[in-house]
Amino acid sequence: MSDLDDFKATYFDECSELLLELEEQFAAIEAGDSTSDRLNAVFRAIHSIKGGGGAFGFSALVGFAHAYETLLDHVRDGKVDLTEPVVALCIRANDLVADFVKAAKDGVTLAEGYGSDEKAQFDVLTAAEGEEETLEEFDLDFVPVMVQVGPKTLPADPSTFTPDAAADHFDVAPLSPSDLGWLVRFVPQPELYARANDPLLLIRELGRLGAVEIRARVDDVPLLGDFEGMASYCAWDIFVSGDKVTRAAIEEIFEFVEGLCELDLREASRHELGPLTLPPQAAEVFDDGPSLADLAAEIKPKAPTAGQAVEPVAPPPEGAAEGDRRNGIHSIRVDLDKIDRVVNMVGELVITQSMLTQQMDESLRAQYQELVRGLEVLAQTTRGLQDSVMSIRAQPVKTVFSRMPRLVRELAVKTGKKIRLETVGENTEIDKTIIEQLSDPLTHMIRNSADHGIEGPEKRLGLGKSDTGVIRLSAEQSGGNIIIAVEDDGGGINRDRVLQVARERGVVGADQQLTDDQTDQLIFAPGFSTASEVSDLSGRGVGMDVVLSNIKKIGGSVQVKSWPGKGTRMTLRLPLTLAVLDVMLVTVAGSPYVIPLSTIVETMQCMRANFSRMPTGGQVLKVRGEYVQVVDLAQRFAMPTSVDDASRFVVLCEAEGGQKIALVVDGIIGQQQVVIKSLEENFQSIEGIAGGTILGDGNVALIVDVQGIKVSSGLAHKSAA
Amino acid sequence: MRILTVDDSRTMLAMLRHALGGAGFEVLQAEDGQQGLDLLKNESVDLVITDINMPVMDGIEFIKNVRASGLYSSLPILILTTESSQEKRDLGRAAGGTGWIVKPFDPEKLISVIHRVLH
Repeated sequence: MSDLDDFKATYFDECSELLLELEEQFAAIEAGDSTSDRLNAVFRAIHSIKGGGGAFGFSALVGFAHAYETLLDHVRDGKVDLTEPVVALCIRANDLVADFVKAAKDGVTLAEGYGSDEKAQFDVLTAAEGEEETLEEFDLDFVPVMVQVGPKTLPADPSTFTPDAAADHFDVAPLSPSDLGWLVRFVPQPELYARANDPLLLIRELGRLGAVEIRARVDDVPLLGDFEGMASYCAWDIFVSGDKVTRAAIEEIFEFVEGLCELDLREASRHELGPLTLPPQAAEVFDDGPSLADLAAEIKPKAPTAGQAVEPVAPPPEGAAEGDRRNGIHSIRVDLDKIDRVVNMVGELVITQSMLTQQMDESLRAQYQELVRGLEVLAQTTRGLQDSVMSIRAQPVKTVFSRMPRLVRELAVKTGKKIRLETVGENTEIDKTIIEQLSDPLTHMIRNSADHGIEGPEKRLGLGKSDTGVIRLSAEQSGGNIIIAVEDDGGGINRDRVLQVARERGVVGADQQLTDDQTDQLIFAPGFSTASEVSDLSGRGVGMDVVLSNIKKIGGSVQVKSWPGKGTRMTLRLPLTLAVLDVMLVTVAGSPYVIPLSTIVETMQCMRANFSRMPTGGQVLKVRGEYVQVVDLAQRFAMPTSVDDASRFVVLCEAEGGQKIALVVDGIIGQQQVVIKSLEENFQSIEGIAGGTILGDGNVALIVDVQGIKVSSGLAHKSAA
Repeated sequence: MRILTVDDSRTMLAMLRHALGGAGFEVLQAEDGQQGLDLLKNESVDLVITDINMPVMDGIEFIKNVRASGLYSSLPILILTTESSQEKRDLGRAAGGTGWIVKPFDPEKLISVIHRVLH
């Protein structure tokens, strides 16, 4: 059955989500927040994993999950205390469950007795309460005693099913009414009706077992005046006979109503049922009307017609049902490719819209005011559409953050340090593609903090700090960016050591003087590592430069700030989305270029700018007391410009680390949105250019990489590749 | 015939849909008791199959709410559970559950249990 594969795929998807959830919940529980909501969520997660696993026959997984679930159930009920060792056991158990799930997914069999140590610990913990029926319960759960009742194929429409018709559906035709069989005396109580059980259905089920003969016992039916709506007055004696009729089979039919009725079951002969008689009171109940006997004669043997009386709600009109159904469902799953197609198309729409807007020159504007208004509305709607589409792709950073507590735990064990992870702003949303790229850099940054930042417990105590170091992982939205910060309260960057290493490796010239901030940034230089010995953790042959290049790849930037003896903060600044960029369109030597709006601080005319020439030949711009390096884009890209200096413009940009750079351009056209096209994919990477885009008029414009320009002009740290 | 299935596990919902859909039932889905209740406000169904352990509103609470509304006193509700322990069944039944299905279920068996409570 190929559907089974589909179910399995769904199941494994769900398992990954549940395992992630387990991790999250236990991170909180470990931090001391073990509310009953959390414990319930944890229990549910394992319960679901077990439930699905059972359906697919993953018995190793189910066996382990069951033992674990039993422990969680005990914890939830307060029978087992959530002590530190128990939490540790659970966290290990989560890993084991993940292993079992993976093995099931890959179709691999784990070694015999895998996880049996932990399982034994569960049993010890749960059996300590003297609950010996745990095992028995296990049997009940997984080896349900199935008694085959009734025909293999059921009639398509159960409402047409009658005891008589049942004969046609039996594999073996029932015996002709035999004189020997079972007599069922059935007296329903009101509680039976309150739970929507129906005697009619039970009798119908008996009819599937064999031939039935029924006597209604209506002796207890009172006169109409004494009739209580919710009471139960009718009882039935049912004689059922046939090959398949056994006590167990009959009991199974009445399984759901056990305790809700009086049920007397015995082997009997048919004549014990007695003749069909009506009590004499019947005539008195219906003074003028037909007698009960007359009514009985009119009732067709087709039993289930009575069922229609208890139809719960009249079906609403077709159209209404459609609309309402939509209201009831809160989310759907959509293939990511489909969303990406929409994102791309919306991107093109944005371009077309801006093209149309650009084509409206002044004379057209004056002539077609209605059209102009329409275009304005179109621009607004497009913007709204774009935001909505982007929000579909957005995911909370929680999905990456939740992997970090485990990492910190592992790091703490390996380094022998005490480390606590704090997370803030987990619900901040960011583009899914960016999230996927975040895991590695964050892992590396946290490793770095744990390995180089946080000091050992004794050293910390000696410094008057708490013996437990704190790594704080936070996310927040700030304008068009998401800021993710990894902070620690460790020793900060050892600048002397960093400078020394940098000089040794020639990253920094021997006589070159660097500010503290610039020194800090050196840790992002390629191949740079200050650890005296390569540690098992953050060593691994890659340095923080990998973090930088990964983050740059997704259009972000990294900044580090360090306070000696107090700690370090590394900040990632990431775009909300990858696809669309707000830019300023400028011209350089007759060609259009775009500068990301998020980097621009201000623009000014060159004639008003306060340039000064440096002895080295370079130019600086004095802005509010601050000297900023000047880069003439025409010179930088080696393109002659005929625009006279005074009428050119300065675009003051802020690169990462808060450092500014002044770009000189020929002219400023305006502000717009562009869809980013990768240069690497379509052409090749060019230093100082972050990518390309197609403008509204069909021209290609290059996106200026402000950080890249700054770096290659030699003032920033030497980090970029 | 329409059946409302309420379970926080997508796997279980998918399997129920398959088993029930294959038997010719129309299947509605909800992921917790609250969603189930919201659905019932606008939809008419012939049977409800619900899990017990769910976030937001668990199965027991859901059944109580369905019965308390008065509109569905004769709507059969099957409890879907791996916990075949008497305790859970009793809780479910005390809340107004009609019967139960033990997970993992055999599709044939599932249909036969459904026919036991469905008009």
